[in-house]
Amino acid sequence: MSLVNFAAREITCKIVYYGPGRSGKTTNLQYIFGRVPESRRGRMVSLATHTDRTLFFDFLPLDLGSISGFATKFQLYTVPGQSYYASTRKLVLQGADGVVFVADSQARRLDDNLESLQDLQTNLLTQNIDIRQLPVVFQYNKQDLPGDLILSPPELDDALNFREVQSFSADALHGGGVFETLKGISELVLRRLAAAEPTA
Amino acid sequence: MRTVEPWVTEPLERFLAESSARLTLLMTSAGQVVAQHGFTRSVDVMTAAALGAAIMASTGEIAKLVGESNFLSLAHQGAKQHVFLSAFETPRGRWIGLVVFDAESTVGLVQLFFERLVKELAAAAPKQVPEQQVLPENFERELNASLRALFGR
Repeated sequence: MSLVNFAAREITCKIVYYGPGRSGKTTNLQYIFGRVPESRRGRMVSLATHTDRTLFFDFLPLDLGSISGFATKFQLYTVPGQSYYASTRKLVLQGADGVVFVADSQARRLDDNLESLQDLQTNLLTQNIDIRQLPVVFQYNKQDLPGDLILSPPELDDALNFREVQSFSADALHGGGVFETLKGISELVLRRLAAAEPTA
Repeated sequence: MRTVEPWVTEPLERFLAESSARLTLLMTSAGQVVAQHGFTRSVDVMTAAALGAAIMASTGEIAKLVGESNFLSLAHQGAKQHVFLSAFETPRGRWIGLVVFDAESTVGLVQLFFERLVKELAAAAPKQVPEQQVLPENFERELNASLRALFGR
């Protein structure tokens, strides 16, 4: 849940990048880390295995600057995609203000995407959160691969995006769609905050 | 020192003076910073909070596995600096404290004064949450400008 500090006029939001293993969640954060000036970001923390698979999470704090008089900060997290790490995924998801579902566009990974999406819904439900009430965007990553290996964004929308939320075509390795995705989820999360009943 | 809610300040100042802690961080169980003393960069505070919350969350899961209700506090011993972590209930939900201390203090003293801090926070928390407006509806333009500046576009 967003933390609003009225005394210091600060807002802090937690955004979680979710999706199957090797879909490009960590790559999204690495690209953002590489592009954002040092003064506006903290160090990127990766709790990873010796083979660089995410073990617990990656974490990147971002300072967005002032929005409507509030110093706005985002905490970007990724979850480990491999099914083995189900328990840690649940922990990272706790208190999320928004989710970016990073799908692997390769046709052979469709079942993995569906399984991960189902896992997301289940984990949210254990925290009494209905996925329909949470800001979520889809990112269809690896769209730069040859056309015969991947599904197109409309095909992926049909297969995964039942709620018809915003979706973004991406090539996270080279940065394509990374910025647009972050912008999309940021708008949804902050719009929800603006629409919320006045509270502390 | 920085605190999200003013009623946290006084008990925390007393804890800092008594325990001789170098750095102190209070956070929600999701890793959101509630109060901090001693950190210089806000982004470092967020990182410490994320890691502290993760340690407590994973320890809580291990507790469930072995049939404990929870491990409420942990201490990590370093060569020169040490870390004390503890979860506690407040009228605002479950919070976590992360305290870094050195040879000026001991884990026993930190724990003793931390337990007092928890009691004082429970007593100081106002019953009513004040109502305040968060963001106006037309924030998108400023958000877009911020993100464009962030990515150099």
